[in-house]
Amino acid sequence: MMMFRNLRFALSSAWQSFWRNLAVSMAAVLSITLILILAGVNLLVGHALSQVLDGFREKVSVISINVADGTPLSAVYAYQQQLSTDPRVAAVRFITKEQALANFQADPNNAALVQQLDANPLDAKLEVKVKALADVAGIDAAARQWSGVDPTNPTNYQGDFVNRMLQLSQWLGLAGVGLLAILVVVSVVIVMNTIRTAVYHRRKEIEVMKLVGATEWFVRGPFVIEGVMTGLIAASIALSLLVIAYPPVVAQFKSDIAFIPLSYDPSFIASLARDLLLGGALLGAVGSYIGVRRYVKV
Amino acid sequence: MRYTARDLARCARRRQTSQQEFQHMVLTPDFDSRPVMSFQHVWKTYPTGTEALRDINLVVPEGDFLFLVGPSGAGKSTMVRLLIREEKPTKGKIFVDGVELGRMKRRKLPYYRRKIGLVFQDFKLLPNLTVYENVAFALRVLGEPDRLVQSRAAEALDTVGLAGKEQTYPANLSGGEQQRVAIARALVHAPRMIIADEPTGNLDPATAWEIMQLFLRINARGATVVMATHNREIVDLLRRRVVAIDAGQIARDDRSGRYHDDVSKPQIRAQ
Repeated sequence: MMMFRNLRFALSSAWQSFWRNLAVSMAAVLSITLILILAGVNLLVGHALSQVLDGFREKVSVISINVADGTPLSAVYAYQQQLSTDPRVAAVRFITKEQALANFQADPNNAALVQQLDANPLDAKLEVKVKALADVAGIDAAARQWSGVDPTNPTNYQGDFVNRMLQLSQWLGLAGVGLLAILVVVSVVIVMNTIRTAVYHRRKEIEVMKLVGATEWFVRGPFVIEGVMTGLIAASIALSLLVIAYPPVVAQFKSDIAFIPLSYDPSFIASLARDLLLGGALLGAVGSYIGVRRYVKV
Repeated sequence: MRYTARDLARCARRRQTSQQEFQHMVLTPDFDSRPVMSFQHVWKTYPTGTEALRDINLVVPEGDFLFLVGPSGAGKSTMVRLLIREEKPTKGKIFVDGVELGRMKRRKLPYYRRKIGLVFQDFKLLPNLTVYENVAFALRVLGEPDRLVQSRAAEALDTVGLAGKEQTYPANLSGGEQQRVAIARALVHAPRMIIADEPTGNLDPATAWEIMQLFLRINARGATVVMATHNREIVDLLRRRVVAIDAGQIARDDRSGRYHDDVSKPQIRAQ
């Protein structure tokens, strides 16, 4: 019962002081909003990058093994069977010379070349989908040992490219985390100082509270709740701005740089909303807690 | 008829005796009972090196009315700050109500402060709260239920003669009225001790006298009062216990003293 009364007191006094010191409150809201927009952009860019990388990953995890002309079909099937029992392999598909040519002709980019073809220069191939990107190199090495492989052009595997993609995706992930960490530190410092200003205006009230015997949490409670309120308001503003800006930016990006398969992903907005609201509330609470600590201490 | 603090406190608690009766009582503190406050060889040296208090020994029985007098910088305010545990003694022990303040845990401090009522020279009222809210604040902080807050705050405001001014803001009150609000706030949680630091310092003589009447009435109801003051007329008129502090030491402790004894004369002080 007493807890409930204290909570009600903390809530009502947080609400009052937010409106009473509107200028300071707005300063805090704006700085948190700015930080959350930066963090949100970081999250969105990270999400877009991982989408793009997933696309690449999908592509490079497929390796084609070219079959030498004249290899008996039974040998190809036997090797296909052998590959599909390999635990590293997800699926194996056999593409005949004719299918390969048909695929080649179907691509409008190749129209000029197709005109000059008199015979079918393409190999039949085994398309192997590998489960983990790191195992592609192993499959490639094994395929080169196979008797039926085309010795002049064994596979389409470009080892360097795959490794670089793997490294790039790791670096990008790390850079995103690092940027987010810096943002968190900067924002806690900003919020702390903004709230310390708000607390400074009310140091007399805190002094009186302490003199009449308020516990430290009783003094701190309203400020922490005010911080959470500030953080939630800032998160709502940042979120609505980001949600409004997200689709047109993606559309613009798509029309400018078509070869990067960026797409608008509305399902990500829910997780973005959760992250921003949680982050804003936490930032406000931690900033207030630290900001008020100096004055609450006896 | 002589009353001890315990008799009066019991009466006050049971509300058997009316306020009017108390006004004529002169409370005789019981020096043989367990003291409410005691200083035992207390030294206080500030980090700057200033020796504010040197070997203070003082016993305050329940129901005592004690003036702390002395020139500015003598150590009166340091004693008040030690009593409300804003500072800890460098050496020695201070007991209040059986608890040693220097060894009290930080989280116990709020509960200790609830046992005492504090009154300051600058009133320390919150300007954005009304008179009623200022008094009620001291109870809300303790998490008391609304009904109790209302009745106790109204009662405290009635005691200090401010009934009818509940909705006024402190800025619209005179200095004396503001100090009455502060006293009502100090009283509202029925503390057994009132500690006042120059409560009449900002008030004219007539108003100061009215405020003193309030403190006397509070004391007559059983509360122990410790008051640091510069107000010579009042101290000389009341002839209550006077503890004179000079250069961080107790120069004089009279059961019914005056503001100036011989303490201010240089040749005596030199001894």
